[in-house]
Order: sequence, then C-alpha cells, then structure tokens
Amino acid sequence: MRQILWQRELRADPWRYPGEDGEGPLVQTLAELLADAGAVVADGAAAGSAAGVRLGPTDDVALLAPLVARLALVVIEFETSGDGRGYSQAQLLRQRLGYQGELRAAGAIRRDHLFLLARCGFDAFDFAPGEDARAALAHLESYRVAYQPASGRLVQPRMRP
Amino acid sequence: MYQYDEIDRSFVNERVAEFRDQTRRFLAGELTEDEFRPLRLRNGLYIQTHAPMLRVAIPYGLLSTRQLRMLAHIARRYDRGYGHFSTRQNIQYNWPKLAEVPDILAELATVEMHAIQTSGNCIRNVTSDHLAGVAADELEDPRPWCELIRQWSTLHPEFNYLPRKFKIAVTGAPNDRAASAVHDIGLHLVRGADGAVGFEVLVGGGLGRMPIIGKRIRAWLPQQELLAYLEAILRVYNRYGRRDNIHRARIKVLVKSLGTEEFTRQVEAEYAANRAVAPNVGAAEIARLRASFAPPRYKELDDTDPSVSAAPDFVAWYRHNTRAHKVAGYRVVFVSLKKHGEAPGDMTDAQMDALAELADRHSFGEVRVTHDQNLVLADVPQHALRTLHAELAPLGLATPNIGTLTDMICCPGLDFCSLANAGSIDIAKQIHEQFDDFDYLYDLGEIQVKMSGCMNACGHHHVGHIGILGVDKHGEEWYQITLGGSATGEVALGEVIGPSVPKAQVAATLARIVGVYLERRDGEAENFLQVVRRLGIAPFKERVYATDTVAA
Ligand code: SF4
Repeated sequence: MRQILWQRELRADPWRYPGEDGEGPLVQTLAELLADAGAVVADGAAAGSAAGVRLGPTDDVALLAPLVARLALVVIEFETSGDGRGYSQAQLLRQRLGYQGELRAAGAIRRDHLFLLARCGFDAFDFAPGEDARAALAHLESYRVAYQPASGRLVQPRMRP
Repeated sequence: MYQYDEIDRSFVNERVAEFRDQTRRFLAGELTEDEFRPLRLRNGLYIQTHAPMLRVAIPYGLLSTRQLRMLAHIARRYDRGYGHFSTRQNIQYNWPKLAEVPDILAELATVEMHAIQTSGNCIRNVTSDHLAGVAADELEDPRPWCELIRQWSTLHPEFNYLPRKFKIAVTGAPNDRAASAVHDIGLHLVRGADGAVGFEVLVGGGLGRMPIIGKRIRAWLPQQELLAYLEAILRVYNRYGRRDNIHRARIKVLVKSLGTEEFTRQVEAEYAANRAVAPNVGAAEIARLRASFAPPRYKELDDTDPSVSAAPDFVAWYRHNTRAHKVAGYRVVFVSLKKHGEAPGDMTDAQMDALAELADRHSFGEVRVTHDQNLVLADVPQHALRTLHAELAPLGLATPNIGTLTDMICCPGLDFCSLANAGSIDIAKQIHEQFDDFDYLYDLGEIQVKMSGCMNACGHHHVGHIGILGVDKHGEEWYQITLGGSATGEVALGEVIGPSVPKAQVAATLARIVGVYLERRDGEAENFLQVVRRLGIAPFKERVYATDTVAA
C-alpha cells in the first residue's frame, strides 16, 4: 500500500492512480476528468462525488477552474526533480483558482525539495522510491525563514514584515 | 552597504547546515551523483577539470574589507592561495575539496556571504554598475533594488527549477556599465513622463550560442511594482520556456519564438491577474534598503589635481586607472587585475589582504568588483592618491592599463573549465607580450578585448570591440575573431572577420587589426570602435588574411 506524507502525517493512500486496480476512488487524468465533466453537464445530472485528478507538467491548470469545487485531490507529477513547472501549477491552483483540497506532489521528489513544494501549496507528498518520509519531515524543520510571500500553509516561515 | 539582520543570518546559517547534511549524504552514498548535482550546483559547486570549483556570490559586486579578508583566508586555507574574479562579479576558487566546502560556506556565513544560486537553473547573482552611488551620470543608486532582488530571488519557492539559468542586471545611469542588454532581464532606472523614477524593462538578452540584445517590454514600471512584474516574467518563463533542449532553454528563445509583442502581452496579462497576491514592496522596506546604501561621510576636500608635476608613472596611472567622482575632492580608483603575464582576474590571498588594508585606510572600507574583472576603490580622496599608488604598485595592482587593449576580459578557458574548447589564459599572456609598450597601448586608446574559451561566452566575446572565441579544430586550439561588438552605448554584437586563426597567431592578428585602425583613424579622437563602425570589417579582414601565414 502506498504511503503518503499528508499534512505532516504518514498515511496509506485512499486513492488509486490511473491504471491501478483495487479499492478506493480513482484518480483521473486531466483528459478523463474533462470528458466526464462534459458528460455530467450534458446529462443535466448533479456533479458527482469528489474527484481526483493527476496533472502532467504541460497540463494547463486553468482548465480546472470550473471544476475546482468538485476536486478533492490534485496530484502534480514531477517527472524529474529539475522540472519546475509543477511549482507554478501549484501556486496558480491555490492562489488563482482558490483550490482548497489535497495538493500532492508525486514523482522525482525528495526531502531536499519539500520546503519549496510546501511553500507553493503542496500539502501531500508521494516521494521517490527510497526516500524516508520521516527524515523528510524532519528536514522541513531546517527552514525557519523565507523572503517571499507564497501560497503554502503547511509551513509558516518567518518573513520580514 | 547592506548589513544582514536576524532573518538574513538565520537564512544563511540554515542553508549551510543543509548543505553540510547533503554533502554528508552524498559522501555516505545516500544520494547519487545525479541527485546531488542540482543540490551542489545551487550552492555554487561545480566539478571541473581538476577539482571542484566553488563560485561565491558577491552581490552586485560590493565587498566590505572584512569580506575581502575572508576571501583571502579561504584562498589560503582551502585553496592554492588565489581566487578568480568572474565577469559576473563573483569569485571562483579552483581547488577546494568537496568535503571541506561546508566549512568554507560556514566561514563565509560569518561575514554575511554565501554561494547560494551561483550556478544551476535558477536566478543567479544579481549584477550592477560598479560605479553605483559615485557616478556623476547616475539617476538613482541601483543597489537598494539589487538587494531587494537578491532577497526575493533567493530560494524563491516557485522559480528555483527554471528551464535554464537566469541573470538579472540593474543599472541606475544612462551609461550602462553592467552589460544589462545581454542579460535575461535588464532593468534601467529611468524617469517617467510625470518625472517619477521607475524601471525600463528589457528581457531576453544573452550571449552564448545565440547572442541577442534584450527587447524592451516595458518603458516604465513603478518602482514598488518591481517584484510583482518580475514574478510575472518568471512565471511565464517557468511555464513555457523550453525544457527539451538545453540550447533552446534560455528565456531569449521563448521571447524570440513568441515574438516580443506576444511575450509582452502574456507577461502583462499575468502581471494584471496576479496583482492581488504578488509581492508588494512596502515603503518602509524600500526606505530600509535605501538607508543601507547611504553615502559615506565625505569630507569637504580641495579639488586639486594630484598629477600636476608628479612622476610619469603616477601620471599614467592617474590618467588611466582613476575616474571622476561625483563628490569634489574624491576620485574613483580602478585596481587593475590585468598585470601583464598574469591570468586576468586572478588575485592572491596576500594581494586581497593588502588591498583590504588600503581600502580601510583610503576608501571607507569597501571594495567593488567590476564585470570586466578589475576591482574598484570607489571613494578615494585625491590627496591620498599618490600614497595609494605607491602602495598598490609593489603589490602588482597598479598596472596603468584600464580601458586599454590589455585590460581584457578572459574566462578561465581550457586550464580550468571542463567545457572549454581552447585556452584563454595563454592567449592573454601572448597578447600581453605583443603589446608590452604602454605608449603604444595609450596611442591605441580605448579597445575592449573580450575572450571566451567556448561558445558559452563567459568572456562576453560577442560584445568585445575585439572578440576572441576559442574553437576546437580536430583537437587543436583555434580562435575566431569578431570586431565591432559593444556592451554599452549603442549595444552591438561583433561580426566574425573570417576563418579562425591558429593559437600562435592570435596576438599577431590583433596587431594587424590595430595597425589598420591606426592608419585609417581620423585622428586620435576617433576611437577603435568608431573606426570599425565607419569602415566595416572589410579592411581589417583584408589585412588579417593578406598572407597565408595567418589564415588557414
Ligand atoms: S566560456 Fe566556455 S571555456 Fe570559458 S569559462 Fe565559460 S564555459 Fe568555460
């Protein structure tokens, strides 16, 4: 069972990623989510239960604007640790779209990226294989100050007024 | 200058501790080389030809003597007794040991210095005019804004993993002494229509494989909007800059492919949409930063010319290595790091210590680094100049060649850099030998020679009046020559004169080029660059390739 660092706790992931079997609600790709959302509207049915979506680095978060209220999970995929597009996606989701649900970073991330990710609004982390989530959490405490306003609430560094 | 407060101090100390832990994990095998690379790069550590290279940030080129003494101490204790000042106002150490780098960073932190973001695909050290605060043509001191940008860009949560490195330069005078037009962002303090001072914003300048002059995307931006606007530019770049090809990843490629107009539209749209949450620089913070760069306590001094009836060597130095100061009775002194026979930009620990002493005595305890690899004592009383000259000369720091052909920019090249195609230090020495007659150098007037060991153009060869680029031809070192580049005034990229020349012929080629200049100039008043612009490269080309001894 996949372990997720969620809100500073380690917990078993209740979600299934695209293509995974088993229990739990399924995380959709952006294309699947948008197709479903279109169908819901066409049916005139009420919006379904809370949805989860997984974004790749080129996915445009603005497309989620009409669906934000329905979303309970957004997973942003980091294919490499050097690809910083996910940080902008996260800031836009939190600040411009007002997304309040779980925002999870997944893929090539380690403790060394945790603080900046958290500052951009991520509050859940699915680490690269081999990373120790507890050590990562401890590492987060090594950052006490910061220079810029940002959207995250998981960490509250001291800033100059 | 800016002094760290409690926030800055904690910040730097925490980062030193983090890097110590990262180095430990790497040495213990908990991090692979691939995982460690981006982490060490963000702390200025490269793996070079011989050893690691550590690049220490000198924000906008300003150093206190306490900091300079620390740089000397590091050179002595952890390196081979010298450091190299780069074209980005930083200092590089070529021989540190990886395991000792955390200790070096800890020592730097004690004097309010660091190596954060001096490499890697992030916002690099912000650079500025080395005459900030003392130049007569200055509209406003750019350094408070540089410090604001330094802080904002340091571990910016969103912009630390950009498609490629990102360089910002700020100037406060119409005469651009920071080569801002060849930076990813160039900021110029200018007066707006209503008389208020704001920023003109250039984006997408750069050298390297695709040299290009920055495009103006904003004629005037209110000062307090600076960070909000920078965030908009960086966000557009972070989202849409190319990441599939390292040679196409700089912002200049994005600006070019979208077109300046469309790029500007996207930035303005992002800026407008983000206003509510963008960083808002308060008046109190601006006042705090401005206060840190308040002018030193100048005295009322007589404005007498110390070169009257002085010895010829002093007169030459005074004429070439000092400049006017905005306060009467003071002079700006250039400390030449271009002694003939030495690697341009190199300085020994003993020289650093001795210069710190002189700066304490004569220049309010501050030293500046220029982007053309010299140092500056910015506030020297005229009456102290003779003493200062007599003290600098035995240190090898008074070569009277500022602005002349031998005051060249030179990257580390093949001797140190693993990316190099060809040596550049050897060529500098060859040019020093060829042009060892100072009267001849003075007759040639201002000529900027800039040299890079490869297409990455750390030596800014595209914007040299004479540019020299090292190329590899079947394992041999050859050199391509360009003419007519300029980083200031009417910014221009040099034009290649023809096939590259072999290593042994570089200085001789320069001799031919300047020979044409001397024959064709319209008196001494017409300088080298003006002649190149008037005549084009044809007559130079003809002379250089006149016999087959040079060309190949
Ligand atoms: S120009 Fe090339 S050789 Fe010179 S320092 Fe830069 S990367 Fe190295």
